[in-house]
Amino acid sequence: MKERIERRAADNAYFHPDFHGALSCGIEYLDAQYGTEAVRGYLRTFARTYYAPLREALRARGLAALKDHFEALYRAEGGEAAFALTADELVIRVEACPAVRHMRARGYPVARLFHETTRTVNEALCEGTPYAAELAAYDPETGRGVQRFYRRAPAAAAEEEGAS
Amino acid sequence: MIGCTDFIPAYSELFKTLDRLGGAAAVEAFWRYLSNTYLGNLRDLVTAHGIRGCWLYWSRTLNEEAADFTMEIDEKAGVFAIDMRACPSKGRLLRERHIDPYPDYCRHCDVLYREVLEPLGYTCETDLSQCDRARCRLTVRRR
Repeated sequence: MKERIERRAADNAYFHPDFHGALSCGIEYLDAQYGTEAVRGYLRTFARTYYAPLREALRARGLAALKDHFEALYRAEGGEAAFALTADELVIRVEACPAVRHMRARGYPVARLFHETTRTVNEALCEGTPYAAELAAYDPETGRGVQRFYRRAPAAAAEEEGAS
Repeated sequence: MIGCTDFIPAYSELFKTLDRLGGAAAVEAFWRYLSNTYLGNLRDLVTAHGIRGCWLYWSRTLNEEAADFTMEIDEKAGVFAIDMRACPSKGRLLRERHIDPYPDYCRHCDVLYREVLEPLGYTCETDLSQCDRARCRLTVRRR
């Protein structure tokens, strides 16, 4: 049987959640071959370069820039997340991480250090800004967790901005 | 969390990291590992359906990736081909002006799919001569 199909980019929306499985596979490989610090270094470099415009927005607009970014991200991925923003703090409570949920559903292994895609990336987003990040809670089985971004103490903030 | 729509730049950065740590051989070793651990669905589909398995596999992935392509299959002749006019992954890397993509990024497709398909009795030919314009062609033939 012969068949032929033709598709234009506009025919479909760009959304391929299996990519979470490929990223997890990459993290697992890097961890096994080169260790934890290689994984953290990779994610830090990625976040600092690729998310440079977001880091700039964080400096300019404060934590509202991160709230906008993560709200759009979890909405697009169908994740359940609640956001609490004040002038000095943003708390994101994730009930079910869409990446982990998709990998569990499709049978992709979830890397031992997959949580670093949240912890290290969030910390890197804050480098060189008056803010800091912590992963306050995380369940590796579901990706359920609490992410916190907060304003550094003035002396620490000045030192951080000077260092970057 | 890194969104799946940000995966391509993350993937490119991973290749750069591996290259820094172990050179091009380390990147290729990872591609082979990825092929063996992540592409089980392509392997299963081709094992179960023959060359039609390629059609079934790429029908889902290329649509989810919003690619601009023509896909053809001739089951009697045992030929499957994808003419990619605008690869969403490479296109994304070319558009993001603030990052430097891994220079050999496109070759991962050749290594990944060859690794799965050749042991199953197919040849796999990838024309990457126009990949700097996000265009390429993949042809799979039953041996």
